[in-house]
Amino acid sequence: MIKTVDLHKSFKVADKKESLHVLKGVTEHIKKGEVVSIIGPSGGGKSTFLRCLNMLEIPDSGHIYFEGVDITDKKIDINQHRQKMGMVFQHFNVFPHLSVMENITLAPVLTKKKTQAEAEEAAKALLERVGLLDKAAEHPGRLSGGQKQRLAIVRALAMEPDVMLFDEPTSALDPEMVGEVLDVIKRLVESGMTSVIVTHEMGFAKEVSDRVLFMDDGIIAESGTPSEVFNTPQNPRTKEFLSKVLY
Amino acid sequence: MTEYFSNIVMILSKYWKVFLVTGVKNTLILALITVFFGALLGVLICLGRMSRFKPLNWFLIAVVEIIRGTPMLLQLYIGYFIVPKILPFNVTDFMAVAVALCINSGCYQSEVFRSGIQAVDRGQTEAARSLGLSARQTMGRIVLPQAIKNILPALGNEFIMIIKDTSLASTFFVGEVMTSYLVVKGTTFLTMECLMITGAIYFVLCFLLSKLLGGFERRLKAHD
Repeated sequence: MIKTVDLHKSFKVADKKESLHVLKGVTEHIKKGEVVSIIGPSGGGKSTFLRCLNMLEIPDSGHIYFEGVDITDKKIDINQHRQKMGMVFQHFNVFPHLSVMENITLAPVLTKKKTQAEAEEAAKALLERVGLLDKAAEHPGRLSGGQKQRLAIVRALAMEPDVMLFDEPTSALDPEMVGEVLDVIKRLVESGMTSVIVTHEMGFAKEVSDRVLFMDDGIIAESGTPSEVFNTPQNPRTKEFLSKVLY
Repeated sequence: MTEYFSNIVMILSKYWKVFLVTGVKNTLILALITVFFGALLGVLICLGRMSRFKPLNWFLIAVVEIIRGTPMLLQLYIGYFIVPKILPFNVTDFMAVAVALCINSGCYQSEVFRSGIQAVDRGQTEAARSLGLSARQTMGRIVLPQAIKNILPALGNEFIMIIKDTSLASTFFVGEVMTSYLVVKGTTFLTMECLMITGAIYFVLCFLLSKLLGGFERRLKAHD
């Protein structure tokens, strides 16, 4: 479904001459129906890699093939392809000036995927699924962090994406709200949604993933099934990292 | 003290029309023209500065910096002498000064627009783009509606600044409140009294406007 070939990305650092090399050649293949978690230390390139997958971050070199199309090609219409990739952010990024309902229906209607009536029908079903139907008319300012993130998830789902990208979806949440969000993601991946999840929730990664990637220093240092990576890590950096985190 | 007071009453009873009718009318007209066309120009400059065409960026940055880095009175002088030479039709002094005020205000307002747009969290743009919206749709439906709330209060301040700044136009006798002062002082020779009256007029105009905008702002906030 998504194939990346030798992705490189550097960031310019203010008042420093040399730039920060964040991705140092990432080649990876995420298959249809697969649930892939990406773990690793901060600054290892996890989020940058994820953000490259829908071109929010433009890689310096390398290629990304999404459903067979090279989306790093400047001639393609990236918006068309992004419509098939849902993304959930650490800081929710719900639209504060729109109601919960409008947050969900805006994109399907604007991209002419659905009429207003169809979009609202679908939005109601989605809100029902995540227990927010009674909040449809509210503005996001009145929602808790967990509710905002659940809204952000169904906003992405309203576009009926082929793949979902989660960028540390629970890192900004109060501890007591992590469960409700993970619950929604878990039900989603169990329904067969192809997903890539950058997370610090090791227990969750272990439980829901088909495959776990350990990223460190701009490369995928280790990849395997959850039991391989968590129980019998091969790379010394993976061992060190896992020994330091509690889960 | 009582003499001052009786002089002020005398001036007002005799010349109130010069101050309150001619002066206030022209000040308000000049300020409204400046705010309106300044806002239009401000939007255009702001769009130009956000465009990807680099030479346009540089040109507009240079213009804005020059306007911000030179005295307004000097700009009014330049406008007063140059505008009638450039425009093909007959230009009154009032129009020439108004053009200079608009350009000045446009540059300041473009900065207000720009900072208002940049104050909208980047995550909003990223979320909208990740849903597959185009850059234009993102700007129109997500960024600008949120930027307006940052922009309006600052624009209100700009409006108040402009009312006070129009007093500089009296250098060219264009008939606003400060010109009324010059006229009345010239016939009565009561400088201090005329200054008090003029100051009071500006204060009332700005204070009322400030209260009006404050109420408007509260309504915007209540909507959140």
